[in-house]
Amino acid sequence: MREFRVLEIKESIFEDNNKDAQELREQLKSENTFLLNLMSSPGAGKTTTLVKTIESLKERLSIAVMEADIDSDVDARTISETGVKVIQLHTGGMCHLDADMTRQGLKGLDAKGTDLVILENVGNLVCPAEFDTGATKNAMILSVPEGDDKPLKYPLMFKVSDVLLINKIDVMEYFDFDLDLCIERVKKLNPNIKIFPISAKTGEGIKEWTDWLYNEVKGE
Amino acid sequence: MHELGIMFHIVDQVLRVVEDNELSEVEAIVLQVGELSSVVPRYLHACFPAATSGTMLESTKLEVEVLTANGICQNCNKVFAVIEYDRVCPQCYSEDIEIISGSEFYLKEIRAC
Repeated sequence: MREFRVLEIKESIFEDNNKDAQELREQLKSENTFLLNLMSSPGAGKTTTLVKTIESLKERLSIAVMEADIDSDVDARTISETGVKVIQLHTGGMCHLDADMTRQGLKGLDAKGTDLVILENVGNLVCPAEFDTGATKNAMILSVPEGDDKPLKYPLMFKVSDVLLINKIDVMEYFDFDLDLCIERVKKLNPNIKIFPISAKTGEGIKEWTDWLYNEVKGE
Repeated sequence: MHELGIMFHIVDQVLRVVEDNELSEVEAIVLQVGELSSVVPRYLHACFPAATSGTMLESTKLEVEVLTANGICQNCNKVFAVIEYDRVCPQCYSEDIEIISGSEFYLKEIRAC
């Protein structure tokens, strides 16, 4: 029988990734690149919102996009029609992106000198919240049909996000969605979060959101 | 799927410890999971064989310790187990509580030689 000894480690499971993410964040800062990590459920309107955001900002900023999906490249093709540089990352079955995968994506994109890189994370409200990608800011989209109770069900996602876009407000009257109650629930979890009600389809609220983002990127 | 991705991270983390300490065999990996962390111990166990396949951890045991989630009542300062009491203070029945523990997720220790 071999003699086993106990090695105490007591390290957070997410420790390695957290360190890696912090390094990446500092590196991006020194290169003057702003990385926005965009997260949401599948179908919340990430790609449509992204297209509107790019159209609103591409004259003022140099933009590139990383599309992360388990498979396929439909989103990357949609985004490439806006004329910005885009790379598709396949997570190979993984439900999130970590800092190392993000770094590889940035390398593949050749993002040096780009003002704004937007990472469209895998559609999921659980795992992406737990893995810091090294992004400068985290943005989340919640769409009206998903319901105003999502902050109660996925609190971590709302806690790690710096900005929340409440999308599809054009269809609010067809759903039992209480905007004020939703905002109150979110603010209780995260008092500092910025919230923009938008409709990526009609364009409502896009200007307010992109003006805010522009100022963040320019550090004003 | 969520737990599998996490399990791959844990395996990497353990293999790094193995390399740093020049270990030859790992008998067990002990994790600590808070009741409010978003991982399910049963699924961690289910993913473990897949995540360790082809590594030196194939015959390693996985042990998961569950840590109780505690909250403090904002009304009467009573500290209590929030899951057991369903987020209601057992002393004054207030629902205004602040969670003080339960979201931990640690690699506690490994037994190895």
